[in-house]
Amino acid sequence: MNTQRTIDAVDLSIMWNRLISITDEGAAALVRTSFSTLVREGYDLTVLIFDAAGRMIAQSAKCIPVFIGTAPTTLSHMLRKYPADTLVPGDVVISNDPMYGTGHMFDLAVMRPIFDNELLVGFSMGITHLPDIGGMGFSVSATEIYHEGLRLPICKLYKAGMLDHDVIELIELNVRVPEQVTGDIFASVSCTEVVARHVLEFMREYQLDSLTELADAILTSTDDAVRSALRAMPDGVFRNEVQVEALGEVRKLVCAINKTGDTIEVDFEGTGPCVGAGINVPFPYTRAMVLYAIKCLTSPNIPNNEGAMRAIEVKAPLGSILNAIPPSPSAGRHAIGHFIFPLITDTLAEIVPDRVAASSGLLDIVTLQGFRRDGSPMAATYFCAGGFGGAEGLDGHPTLPGSSNMGRTPIEVFEPLTGLTVLEKSLRPDSGGPGRYPGGAGQTIVMRNDTGYPMRVYAMANRTLFPADGVFEGKAGAVREHWVDGEKMSGQGAYTLAPGQHLKLLQPGGGGFGDPALRTSAQIEQDIERGFLTPEGAKSLYSHAG
Amino acid sequence: MYGMRLGVDIGGTFTDFAMADANRGWTAVHKRLTTPDEPSRAVIEGVRAICSENTIAIPDLAEIVHGTTLITNALIERRGARTGMLVTKGFRDTFDIGQEQRYDLYDLRIQFAPPLVERRCRAEVIERLDHEGNVLVELDEDDLRTSIVRLVEDEKIEALAICFLHSYANPQHESRAAEIARELYPNLFVSTSADVFPYAREYERWTTTCANAYSQPMVDAYLRKLEDGLAAIGFTGNLSIIASGGGLMSPSMARRYPVRLLESGPAAGVIMAARIAEELKIDGLIAFDLGGTTAKGALVRNGEPFKKYTFEAAHAYKHKTGSGLQLQIPVIDMAEIGSGGGSIAGVDELGLIRVGPRSASSSPGPACYGLGGEYATLTDANLTLGYLDAGFFLGGKMKLEPTLASEAIEGVIGQKLGMELLRAAWGIHDIANEDISRAFRMHATERGFDYRRSTMVATGGGGPIHAARIARKLKVPRVIYPAGAGVMSAFGMLLGAASFEVVRSHSQPLETLEPSKLGDLLADAADEVRKHLLTAGIAAEAIELDCRLDMRYRGQGYDIEVRLPMHLSLEEQLKVLPALFEEAYREVFHTTLEQPLEITGLKAEARAPKPGFMTLGGRADATPESALKGTRKAYFPLAGRIVDCPVYDRYLLRPGETVDGPCLVEERESTCLLDFGDRGTVDTYGNLVAEIGV
Repeated sequence: MNTQRTIDAVDLSIMWNRLISITDEGAAALVRTSFSTLVREGYDLTVLIFDAAGRMIAQSAKCIPVFIGTAPTTLSHMLRKYPADTLVPGDVVISNDPMYGTGHMFDLAVMRPIFDNELLVGFSMGITHLPDIGGMGFSVSATEIYHEGLRLPICKLYKAGMLDHDVIELIELNVRVPEQVTGDIFASVSCTEVVARHVLEFMREYQLDSLTELADAILTSTDDAVRSALRAMPDGVFRNEVQVEALGEVRKLVCAINKTGDTIEVDFEGTGPCVGAGINVPFPYTRAMVLYAIKCLTSPNIPNNEGAMRAIEVKAPLGSILNAIPPSPSAGRHAIGHFIFPLITDTLAEIVPDRVAASSGLLDIVTLQGFRRDGSPMAATYFCAGGFGGAEGLDGHPTLPGSSNMGRTPIEVFEPLTGLTVLEKSLRPDSGGPGRYPGGAGQTIVMRNDTGYPMRVYAMANRTLFPADGVFEGKAGAVREHWVDGEKMSGQGAYTLAPGQHLKLLQPGGGGFGDPALRTSAQIEQDIERGFLTPEGAKSLYSHAG
Repeated sequence: MYGMRLGVDIGGTFTDFAMADANRGWTAVHKRLTTPDEPSRAVIEGVRAICSENTIAIPDLAEIVHGTTLITNALIERRGARTGMLVTKGFRDTFDIGQEQRYDLYDLRIQFAPPLVERRCRAEVIERLDHEGNVLVELDEDDLRTSIVRLVEDEKIEALAICFLHSYANPQHESRAAEIARELYPNLFVSTSADVFPYAREYERWTTTCANAYSQPMVDAYLRKLEDGLAAIGFTGNLSIIASGGGLMSPSMARRYPVRLLESGPAAGVIMAARIAEELKIDGLIAFDLGGTTAKGALVRNGEPFKKYTFEAAHAYKHKTGSGLQLQIPVIDMAEIGSGGGSIAGVDELGLIRVGPRSASSSPGPACYGLGGEYATLTDANLTLGYLDAGFFLGGKMKLEPTLASEAIEGVIGQKLGMELLRAAWGIHDIANEDISRAFRMHATERGFDYRRSTMVATGGGGPIHAARIARKLKVPRVIYPAGAGVMSAFGMLLGAASFEVVRSHSQPLETLEPSKLGDLLADAADEVRKHLLTAGIAAEAIELDCRLDMRYRGQGYDIEVRLPMHLSLEEQLKVLPALFEEAYREVFHTTLEQPLEITGLKAEARAPKPGFMTLGGRADATPESALKGTRKAYFPLAGRIVDCPVYDRYLLRPGETVDGPCLVEERESTCLLDFGDRGTVDTYGNLVAEIGV
């Protein structure tokens, strides 16, 4: 069908925008009522619309990268089990299978077919990170997927509008906070209903009998835009690898990127096997991270939909740490998965030098357990960021998270929560990778256990062995270090912080961009002034006389 | 207590004046060019002009209410004072470390607003409190003195921000430091974080405190010039400045808290909308304003505008949320989107038309201004579609050039997409409407506000052209067009009342909260807010007090605001709190939990009585001649074509008269557009009230 004839740029802008607006509105309603802090503060959710053929045409704009491209896979598995022609109005299908979804079981997908009278016109879906899914909780401690909680088969939560109470009871019996978990599930269910209703109203307003023609136009324009961005990049095969810490082991992530004409293929052949901890990455997550990286480099402003993925193919060897299959656990798949983004951008740096940033220092995640001064039990997770990588014409920003994006907890909120006293939170000079545009500085955080009780510290740090590398002759940043008083601790493991002891977290710098010899004296002086370099560091890292 | 009053709003291009005498329901307006080099000059000249035009003696003016974008511009252009900062040892780099979160996940080149205080002007101070306000490390006064002397003598600071950890729980160290600074340098402007906004969250509180100190010297100088100038022409009344939260502040409050003057202009339109809601008993209302660079929407429930206590000023990167300065001030909660009259239209990488957020501003402005602007803007589209009268823009003060508008649209959109002119112009207009609708839907949904059952009030120069169509997209059934939409920011101020609000952190499990403790907390906050109003000359018995608690289920990360029933005793208030909380919680979550409650904060606001409601319209004495001016060719897609659209003179429409869409209703600074199926009726206040067709 020739879509250009009937839908012009004005219609397409308005109708496309409206569909995205419907998903945004659905997501906003879900965020507002969600019991999960990750959903509330990190937008760990998404809402989507598909056409009758199961093609994803609109996705809420604000969501974390893991949801890029995963939902179409989820829907196709749902439709394999419950073919579209067997669905009836009022059906609601759910799944939290990490293999078909986003790589861990916290994310529950809720799907509803949209019927215009008896005619199936599309699907609405909401996916949110539940407050709990049983098992060992949100940690990397599992050694098998069975430890990680409730893995539901794809099933119907509602059949023709009738709730399956057994499914709800099954979930309630398996989670720690059943009220909150079912609260979030029903919020997703009503979200899909509202989205479906708005889609039907939209179709009536624009007198559409089906979404197919509009979907064709949306997907074609998107695909065209992505391909034209790809065509503008030089062809070639680009290879790269990176070593990562994997709980006492080291794993190599290997990738080959083949960019030909208007397509790109990313193959992780050669990547090492899974490990016995919940940091293995199921394939949908790997693919989402690749799509995210390529989107940043080619077409950051294009809305997410299935058209944006047609020109991009992703492969990873089955059973590798980037294509984990049960029984390998994966609750903390982000710990390894976050390295995919810098691996892709570093690999493509030579053909899009002006669009990449060097690797960043990434996030530090420390979980603390013990008691507050008043004896009440305490558990808290502390996030802090290393420096961001330098880029063409742009110094790396200090202390800015890469790949993932959890924000800081203010000290004035953190202290009453934990009973720790933070004595210092300052820039870590000389930690940014030297470069013409240096990597951003990391930070030094010192906290004292003032609770009067011993405190357990669970560290999930990376970059303690392998720093953020520079690009184009830029140098690597400093590595991450954890200290208790005078003793250096392992970055990945558990230890005790006795009352009065100091925990010191040294956050890594970002990688530098370009030859440090090209950094001017004036710039180096300013780096000293701004606390990014010490005079000694300027001398040793830049041979700056001062 | 409210006699002859004058509202003055300094905009980028014009300074607007609106005068009202509540006793006899009389109003007048005046408009003149802003004098950017010295804004107070246009104010003084305008006061003199509007008084003489209306034969009012300046000494008869009881009050002048004033709104200014001085602080907003100073933060954007970085024109404030050289400012120093004293900060708890260990935390000098708080601003450089920042929020540790990216506001755009897809852009690897995002940038953040540089700190207002250079790192060399920040000095660490030996002192430390815990979150309960206990002293962990005593304030080292010698060390403090040395730092202050260095900042003033070597760094030449003019203002000082004192920012210590947990000072919201105990202001003692900050106060002592301020005392020492004032002893050493009596002319130094000093702001302490516990005074500016005593709320936990050091990064935002300190940013706010620095912004406050940074603005103090210029606000002081500006107000002095204004006060002197007004005194010189014989003004003896009250001078008030409208604050971001919608309340009026005295000059001394403004000097102490200049950061609260941010965003004062837009607040006035919302005040007008809120007063309409109150007067017409409308429970849910959307206040919509479309100006030169942005469109804004605010929600009003039962006459109270939604407020928030965080505000981002001076975006530093591509107009993006997250790139600006993160401040804590009471502010009317507005959705803002880069779709204004000057917003530039273009074709994006998907081959779609986009409008804004880049703006041609007022200079060179839209192509049709004929000032050399080449961009096709929303105003160019509205002119091409026939919605604006080229000869009657701003009441004929400015001539528009339709050919320049068409050429710009042809060049930027038409040729690129092979689209005929009218279709392209319609695309710009409709896409702006869709973008605004989308922003409002999100804003309302995030706040649990049912916009489909609400009423819209349209103000701003461009609001009335777009309101009916946006309402239609949102399924909002009714739009109210107050008269004088284009001068509403000056007039709305006259409907506001003096008020002052404080927000304080206080965390405590509800079951351990004794009535006496609650009493102390309330009394303490109430004393502070009342004090500001008493000092401004408001009689004690006239001050009304509004107190709210932030509450949550213990362990949840989300606060719910609960208004205290102040007519009850403290014991009874505590007794009903759980039920009030559950009611508010149920509205958000549709359920309640079996968990203990805690309070996390306290808000107290003192308010003076509001002036009587009045409008700029309602000329019952209008001559009975027909308001129909004639017709103009305008594009109405619901008719599928250009129609001969009736054009009415707003000033000749009498209460009770109705007009049917499609039609245009013109006044000097704005035009109301009603579409097919819409029907407008003039009410007794002179508002045009349109029922929107479906």
